[in-house]
Amino acid sequence: MEFDANRPIWLQVMNALETDIITGRRKPGEKLPGGRDLALRFEINPNTAARVYQELEKTGLCETRRGMGTFVTGDETVIASARNDFIRQTVKNFLQRMAQLGETPQSAARMILREEE
Amino acid sequence: MLESKEVTKQFGSKTAVDHISMKLEKGHVYAMLGPNGSGKTTWMKLAAGLLKPTYGMVCFNGEPVSIESRKHVAYMSTEPYFYTWMTVKDVGKYYQDFFEDFSYDRYLTLLKQMELTENLRTKALSSGMMAKLKIAVTMARDADVYMLDEPFNGIDLLARDEIRACILSYATEEKLLLLSSHLVEEMEAIADRAVFIKEGKLIENVDLEDMRTQQGVSMADRYRQIYGHTEG
Amino acid sequence: MFKLMKYEFRKTWITKLILLGITAAVESWFLVSLYMEKEDGLAASIAILMMLAIFGVLFIGLQSVITLHRDMNTKQGYMLFMTPNSCYKILGAKVLENGLSIALTGAFYFALGALDISLLFAKQGQLNQVWQMIQDIIKSFNEEIPLTSDALAAFTFSLLAGWITTVVTAYLADVISAALLNGKSFNGVISFVIFLVLNWAFGWLEGIAIRNIPNVVTMMLVRGGLSLVVAAVMYVATAQIMEKKLSV
Repeated sequence: MEFDANRPIWLQVMNALETDIITGRRKPGEKLPGGRDLALRFEINPNTAARVYQELEKTGLCETRRGMGTFVTGDETVIASARNDFIRQTVKNFLQRMAQLGETPQSAARMILREEE
Repeated sequence: MLESKEVTKQFGSKTAVDHISMKLEKGHVYAMLGPNGSGKTTWMKLAAGLLKPTYGMVCFNGEPVSIESRKHVAYMSTEPYFYTWMTVKDVGKYYQDFFEDFSYDRYLTLLKQMELTENLRTKALSSGMMAKLKIAVTMARDADVYMLDEPFNGIDLLARDEIRACILSYATEEKLLLLSSHLVEEMEAIADRAVFIKEGKLIENVDLEDMRTQQGVSMADRYRQIYGHTEG
Repeated sequence: MFKLMKYEFRKTWITKLILLGITAAVESWFLVSLYMEKEDGLAASIAILMMLAIFGVLFIGLQSVITLHRDMNTKQGYMLFMTPNSCYKILGAKVLENGLSIALTGAFYFALGALDISLLFAKQGQLNQVWQMIQDIIKSFNEEIPLTSDALAAFTFSLLAGWITTVVTAYLADVISAALLNGKSFNGVISFVIFLVLNWAFGWLEGIAIRNIPNVVTMMLVRGGLSLVVAAVMYVATAQIMEKKLSV
């Protein structure tokens, strides 16, 4: 994975894991790689990897069980709500960009439908 | 784990390292940065005990570096230093003869990863192969501290990934890694702290993720901020 | 310690092998000449063998000084000084390996000489001239040495011990140059002057010590023993300077 060196690397790895969880690529209750494995897989510093889980835990998307490792939360409502937040954020970003280009949400919606055909 | 106390090294009238005081703790990967001639190599050689300080000292676990600390500190110099008569195998045997923490099995594994064979003569190695050999033999030690001076120098893009992976596999809570390189981008993700040195003086010893979180600044950006105006 | 010595030997063994090879070739020439009673061949091969003995021993000592110089002044020295060995051990290995090499080479040539001379004796009648030449060469070193085997052995011992001391003196001078005068101009000249002064001081001390010994053999033994004591003292001084001051 290529990183943007100006943004915190823990945040970028965390976003990648979040995407995996809300898209269902990682199932609820699934075991996540340990800190060291995560570091080796993403070629990042182990301290950074540890921070990824600390921060991810705060979102509620994962939980650490003592002595067993870190797991995707089994609570699907948390995942669904994170997914909603993510969708809303994506739409918001898109509309912001369109607004800069002088388009209204309505005109943007028409363009999307036309693109679909 | 490593503490530099006002350490200073002069060569004749030139001051290569100028009253550097800092503490390097285990469990971190430090990137040591600065342009050529800023004093990185000299500081590492002081910490390895190859150079004797003009003033001050470098301590390992509270004791000035000595014969004892050499058992626990693995140093890789940027220049090739093997005896010219040696083969790759001789190099490994030499380390095995002198370092208790050296594992010949681990050396063989690393050689394989680096696509080197035991029967090669060090005299005939290309600079890239030599760079790989230095890393293989140094990382085959199970030391507390690894100091690698320019580990990515002369190594092609693909092999750099291998070396990063190898370095990371050693970065545990118990060990301290110190890497110097002018290839700053190569170290952005694997280092968690950076030590900036300029004209023999310590500029700062910072946490990289904190710096990115609080200032939105990468290690390379910071490098440009510190040294940019002095370089053409 | 043994491991360090092993690598000191490894750095120099090729020269030693070449020396041995040349010696074997010349020795065969000597034996063939002896068998065929060729005076010219005998004279030439004996002269070369004696040269080989003298220069071989000298060269082995010199090479070890060069090796130490290289270990202190090139990157190759990291290989040695990054190992967890004190300078006493590192230098000790050099002194022992080289001292042993010099002693063994000396003993080897002494034994070879003794063998060749006894072979010559068997045919002494016809080979007077050659025997005379050997006597002349030995006399050129020291007028007073009687041509008895114990006197010659004592003489060889004192020569070898003296040479080992000279080599250790050169170590000391070179270490002073590398460790204390590093970066100063003329450090090469200064270290050579130090070498000469130390050598002269040792010669002076030796002169006093052996002044009143009438017996040549005893004198040689005392001189050789004294050389080794001086070498030991200089070794300690050299290692101490390296330990405290040497940057490679």
